[in-house]
Amino acid sequence: MDLSVQQFRTKAEQEFLDLYTKAEKTLPGSKNPFVADLRKNAIATYARLGLPHRRIEAWKYTDLRAHLEDVYPLATPHRGTIGTNELEAALGKAIVAFSAYRLVIVEGELREDLSDMSALKDAGAEITSLAQALETPPAWLKETLSKAGPREDDAVFALNTALMTGGVTLRLPKGLTLDKPIHLIHLDGTGDPASMVTRNVIVAEEGTSATILESYGSLGMKELQRNAVTEIEIGDKAAIHHIKFQREAVETTHLGIWLATIGADARYDAFQVSTGALLSRNQIYVGFDGEGSSTEISGACLMRGRQHCDTTLIVEHRVPACVSRELFKVVLDDHARGIFQGKVIVAPDAQKTDGKQMVNALLLSETAEFDSKPELEIFADDVVCGHGATSGQMNEDLLFYLESRGLPEAEARAMLIQAFVGEAFECIDNETLREAFSGVSADWLGVSLE
Amino acid sequence: MPAVQDTVERVKEIDVDQYKYGFVTEIESVTAPKGLNEDIVRFISAKKDEPQWLLDWRLEAFKRWLTMQEPEWANVHYPKIDFQDLYYYSAPKSTEGPKSLDEVDPELLETYKKLGIPLREQEVLAGVQGAPKVAVDAVFDSVSVVTTFKEELAKAGVIFCSISEAVKNHPELVKKYLGSVVPSTDNFYATLNSAVFSDGSFVYVPEGVHCPMELSTYFRINAEQTGQFERTLIIADKGAYVSYLEGCTAPMRDENQLHAAVVELVALEDAEIKYSTVQNWYPGDKNGKGGIFNFVTKRGDCRGDRSKISWTQVETGSAITWKYPSCILRGDGSRGEFYSIAISNGYQQIDSGTKMIHLGKNTSSRIISKGIAAGHSNNTYRGLVSAHRRAANARNFTVCDSLLIGDKCGAHTVPYIEAKNASATFEHEATTSKISDDQLFYCLSRGLSEEEAVALIVNGFVRDVLQHLPMEFMAETQKLISISLEGSVG
Repeated sequence: MDLSVQQFRTKAEQEFLDLYTKAEKTLPGSKNPFVADLRKNAIATYARLGLPHRRIEAWKYTDLRAHLEDVYPLATPHRGTIGTNELEAALGKAIVAFSAYRLVIVEGELREDLSDMSALKDAGAEITSLAQALETPPAWLKETLSKAGPREDDAVFALNTALMTGGVTLRLPKGLTLDKPIHLIHLDGTGDPASMVTRNVIVAEEGTSATILESYGSLGMKELQRNAVTEIEIGDKAAIHHIKFQREAVETTHLGIWLATIGADARYDAFQVSTGALLSRNQIYVGFDGEGSSTEISGACLMRGRQHCDTTLIVEHRVPACVSRELFKVVLDDHARGIFQGKVIVAPDAQKTDGKQMVNALLLSETAEFDSKPELEIFADDVVCGHGATSGQMNEDLLFYLESRGLPEAEARAMLIQAFVGEAFECIDNETLREAFSGVSADWLGVSLE
Repeated sequence: MPAVQDTVERVKEIDVDQYKYGFVTEIESVTAPKGLNEDIVRFISAKKDEPQWLLDWRLEAFKRWLTMQEPEWANVHYPKIDFQDLYYYSAPKSTEGPKSLDEVDPELLETYKKLGIPLREQEVLAGVQGAPKVAVDAVFDSVSVVTTFKEELAKAGVIFCSISEAVKNHPELVKKYLGSVVPSTDNFYATLNSAVFSDGSFVYVPEGVHCPMELSTYFRINAEQTGQFERTLIIADKGAYVSYLEGCTAPMRDENQLHAAVVELVALEDAEIKYSTVQNWYPGDKNGKGGIFNFVTKRGDCRGDRSKISWTQVETGSAITWKYPSCILRGDGSRGEFYSIAISNGYQQIDSGTKMIHLGKNTSSRIISKGIAAGHSNNTYRGLVSAHRRAANARNFTVCDSLLIGDKCGAHTVPYIEAKNASATFEHEATTSKISDDQLFYCLSRGLSEEEAVALIVNGFVRDVLQHLPMEFMAETQKLISISLEGSVG
């Protein structure tokens, strides 16, 4: 007796397909056969997979199929002026004040008038908007876009490839060291609810060194659906710091994917802070392709209300002698739900691997929930791998101590929470940024740092 | 750091081609016709002379089973099982009718003797002066052959018999508790077991009784193409204590045989159950041919306040192991423990772990798991720790370590940690049991060689698990004791 359930498409699942059919001819690069094929294959993959749901192991705790009821139309360009006030309202003062080469992407469109394009070009980087690059993609972009990886079995990634309209392509030529970080600011507009599908492609060639900050904020559009992918290739002996700050409006659905490959003797440090969005899922895929490299992936998520934040990361040790470190801090209040899924895969030949993951959750209310699944999959026998996961509430002894020193309870609590997430912030090399992020957690807690 | 030589050798000693219990007992059997349908369920029930309610229960489970699909989520791979190509019932002919030790077929006694399990009470008594007594229930294929020390246990009020006997003599207890921990609809294999279970052990320890001796069941699969579906039910009434051991072996055959057992434990207020397993089913030959598929559902229910259930397991056998002895911590202040050593060799696949489900207030649990993979085997730890809304102050501590020997095997760790309660404190750690340089230096400075020092330190380390095994099992696990976990990975 065959009782397998016939897969039916939900309304949202169908709407994504319709979205593609409608936009197929007008999407950037639609006249280029390479891009058209890429999109066609991707939408076919999506059609086969459907939206991920809880019966799919990797999405056990985040049921996207049930969460998405409607799909909003693709965003249309926003022409309004955006000044410092708007930026500060969207991202907070500290992050805006941060000195960097600024690239502002509004509703998926790279706004050259708001960006430091020419300064960045003068510094030696090759920068183009994705839309423009897709019309006549250079060879290196084609190569990156057609790599395998999670493209085959990740519906969210497939949707991104099929529908990507905005973002940037950035190439750091061999040996370039940037004097200032690059700040990619992603903002929505103020119009009707929309879907925003962006892709950033970054290629850091051999021996380059740079800090890249991606921030995501809201100008006013509340019900936003964002699907943002960043692909980053780190060449041999390169050192890249990659940071993400997500502070979108609370009705937002944020689906983010970072896909990094690391060459030999290179370093890639990734850091993510999330305080916004109703449902956010941050997926990070990191793969080692060259020996002697290391990565440190860390982050913090601070959630309240009915927010849901899922961090899922996969680190693949495909070659010997690489080091990976993961540290995540999760603070949950009210009915918030935090999820951490980490997976370290050590291939049969990847001897001398050193991998560690750690996640700590702090539950501030009786109704918050934290689920974690720190996995290890090991096929080599000469490795050092470990993982840890803890979950608990605030240490009453510490609180009592602080109160006994004359601190009011609220302040003492805030101080302890700051200290808790602060450990993750230590992973940020750039001092100004580190302080800016301390400001973010203080902001979330509603206390001033002074 | 790779595994040290000493470890490699000791694991080799228990490699699949060293299997010692692979002989076959030539004995005439009564079997049910091959295949599975409603008539087979009725046949088994009739053979056991069961009351109508139990037959109805079996049939309902069978109907349910027909609608279920085989689970595929575990990290194990095997050809699809043809459930119509199995015998669901097989019993030695001579065991029909009344059972006293003198009437048992000498072939059977010989079998157990070969396995090192004394069934004659006088033999047990003739052993070393002062040696602890162990009562044994011997299960051969689908039936219980003999249960020893029944009278002595009865004096203490403890009921220890085969489950078929319990159905006849203590129907009220069986009816009350059977399926109350693992419902007949629980999962594919548990439902199959509910429909066709043949025998197993039943233990009831009355209120306030500390069971005077260790109880044990020895499972033996002998017949060809037979599945073994035993069902064990242990109830510790208020304030009672019982320690139960389980051992299993099977002959070497080229075919895969299915073993789908269900074990239910119920601990009422202040009761304690200690359940230990040494699982040594035939693991298949060194090319991965044959071996037992061990798909079992084991679950304990800490139903009363302050009750305690602890699982200890040493897993060396079976081609495929798929089991998660679990604790439902329902009573306030109840406690669950899980200690495990799982060693896989050859082409064995193990996907094992535990579930600690915290429902009551102030409940606590501890998980210590050590996995060692060698040869072409895959060894997965899969565990769930969850605290529900009302489980205030729940605590869990988990350590799971694994070690790989060779580069053809795999070790995996899949822990699920779900906290729905802020006051729950969960700590999960999978340490790389790298020996501290200080400890090593100290030992070396006392004149020990490096290998000796490592063995010494590791002995102390693995003790976590082994000290929870009853004395009787020490002999069987001696080989494992000095396996070092040096170079292990989380």
